[in-house]
Amino acid sequence: MSQAATAVQTDTNAEHHEELSFLYKYILPTDHKIIAMQYIFTGMIMAVIGGYFAYAFRMQLAFPGELVPLYGLVGPGEYNMLVTNHGTIMIFWVAMPVLIAGFGNYIIPLMIGCDDMVFPRLNRLSYQIFLASTLVLILSFFVKGGGFGGAWTAYPPLSSVAEYSLTDWGASLWVLAVALEFVSFLLGGINFVTTTMNARAPGMKMMDIPIAVWFIVLAVILFMASVGPLIAGAVMLFMDQRIGTSFFLPSGGGDPLLWQHLFWFFGHPEVYVVLLPTLGIVADIITVFSRKKLFGYKTVLYTAFATGGLSFVVWAHHQFIAGIDPRMANVFVVTTVLISIPLAEMMFSYIATLYGGSIELKTPMLWALSFIAAFLIGGVTGIYLGASALDVYFHDSYFVLAHFHYTFFPITIIGMFAAITFWFPKMFGRMMNDTLGKIHFWGTFIPFNCIFLPLFFLGLAGQHRRIYNYNHFPDLATQELQNIRIFATVSLIVMLCFQLVFIYNFFVSMFKGKKAPDNPWNANTLEWSTPSPPPHGNFKTLPTVYRGAYEYSVPGREMDYWPQNEPPEES
Amino acid sequence: MSEAYAHPNYVKIWIWLLVLLALSVAGPMLEIPTLTIITAFGIAIVKAFLVAANFMHLKFEKKIIWFLLLMSICMLGVFFFGVAPDIMMTEGDQWIDCIADKSCVEQRL
Ligand code: HEM
Ligand SMILES: [Cu+2]
Repeated sequence: MSQAATAVQTDTNAEHHEELSFLYKYILPTDHKIIAMQYIFTGMIMAVIGGYFAYAFRMQLAFPGELVPLYGLVGPGEYNMLVTNHGTIMIFWVAMPVLIAGFGNYIIPLMIGCDDMVFPRLNRLSYQIFLASTLVLILSFFVKGGGFGGAWTAYPPLSSVAEYSLTDWGASLWVLAVALEFVSFLLGGINFVTTTMNARAPGMKMMDIPIAVWFIVLAVILFMASVGPLIAGAVMLFMDQRIGTSFFLPSGGGDPLLWQHLFWFFGHPEVYVVLLPTLGIVADIITVFSRKKLFGYKTVLYTAFATGGLSFVVWAHHQFIAGIDPRMANVFVVTTVLISIPLAEMMFSYIATLYGGSIELKTPMLWALSFIAAFLIGGVTGIYLGASALDVYFHDSYFVLAHFHYTFFPITIIGMFAAITFWFPKMFGRMMNDTLGKIHFWGTFIPFNCIFLPLFFLGLAGQHRRIYNYNHFPDLATQELQNIRIFATVSLIVMLCFQLVFIYNFFVSMFKGKKAPDNPWNANTLEWSTPSPPPHGNFKTLPTVYRGAYEYSVPGREMDYWPQNEPPEES
Repeated sequence: MSEAYAHPNYVKIWIWLLVLLALSVAGPMLEIPTLTIITAFGIAIVKAFLVAANFMHLKFEKKIIWFLLLMSICMLGVFFFGVAPDIMMTEGDQWIDCIADKSCVEQRL
């Protein structure tokens, strides 16, 4: 292995990597692909838990006070615990690990043409810390008092005083789990940025990097720049809970608003942290399946920069009626409306990419297109909420809830399925069944809209969030409103049932699917020039890059794609 | 790693810091408001710069480190700008009064 160092620069031969024992290959791996799978599988298991929680509390909302099959009775405290941990899990334990850590790990080295992350052991450590945080979170469900129930935003004083939240240790373990998770993603983020900046294949200029990689890197930079205040806040909250300080407690001279600022200074950039990877993945998928160059590569990139920058100055739109200074509210209305401009521009670029392309509606493409459609509804309703006058009425209603599910669901769930169905052939060397994939797609996308569209109307009707039994509120207990709730819940159950199709397709295809060729979609990016699945070390010989990632249907060429590593013809 | 940095003269910097400290203590004694502000904040900035440049070795780092530092300071500024009106300009003792004076608590319930 003495030439290992030079091998990195000249040719990363697969033979340089000797066979590893099972322990080092799958349990303590340093291979980015295996670590990626660890993240993705952990995230998918957590998604099942998060979905189960959603099922339990939606049943309580539709049929209040009745026994929930497969769960039991949902009391008020338990309801709070379920909602809180549903949100926490879906954002921090599904969206982040699957899209950023999971697919980030999988595609970055492959797409930029190197053999692994630059810090493979740091990579492994980051997964291990993530696993520890997962275990702490799961442990918190079983301590005395049960899991934390103070909402995923954990506003004090509710979250900081055990007598209020009634979850003494649940609350502290929740804070600890979240903090550990952030440490893990900080380590991972360092790796992603360094790898992309330093380990690109020769010839790959900044503007040749696929958008998917660019956006994941931007996402982790946003994450790293915003997470500091929240970690500081988490430490202060933990101290308020455990050693009697009162940073956020008015009774001791503290200020609960300070937590809200610390949380949302992170929280709003965080929504773009999870958004960007999916936007990148979607950009790559729509170019492949419409056989067209991405419309305005640089525009797309710069709009992402603009969004990222602006995302740091909009946070207080979550606090319009929390008692912030009204003059500040004006400032934040302006910035919030501003941020929709670059995002809209990016969406237009995507739609323009589709225009005139030869569109092929394979499963990944269906997911990508549905992402654009659903996300537009989410983004547009955000502008309503950003107007502080309207938000006085909308705040903490189901309108907000529907808004952010129309953004988060497309990002997390649709984005995850888009990525899995697209890269599955590369990851496991086999094709997924396209028919089952489409059944699963429609069985997810239609019920998704049936769940969340009605919630906008519930919100407009004045339905407040965080109420576990509307029968206690005569105005909200009418039969019409209850019918809408039942409809949403039934749709949710339908959607959950259709996930079985996916699970079946996923595992059966993994072992029995049709063998996948190296480049099943005729795509340009480097990962498709490796064998499926790529061996440890990825490339037989280090690729050289000659062009950008989106040279589809170039006039005068026989093939409608032009892989990045294919040398130009001599002329 | 072993090609050592050119060392700054730590002792010299330290003495400079002490001199500045003395100045910032002496300045306010003249009780001229403008001068007080300059000695308090102006000197603090100079001192922070000296420490960052020498003791934190920023003097010998690449430009990008300075860039990162500046960005962080900007972020801090943005955060402070957004939060200060809430945290510093509420007549915040209202809360404490509330606790002492039970009637207003009841009124809010
Ligand atoms: C990137 C996709 C987006 C995601 C993931 C997202 C997510 C969220 C979440 C999670 C909340 C509610 C937090 C809570 O109270 O629990 C929220 C509220 C809000 N969002 Fe979005 N959002 C996105 C895009 C936008 C856009 C583009 C705008 C405006 C242009 C916007 C404006 C708002 C406003 C004003 C609120 C506060 C509403 C309130 O609490 O009264 N969002 N969003
Ligand atoms: Cu926001």
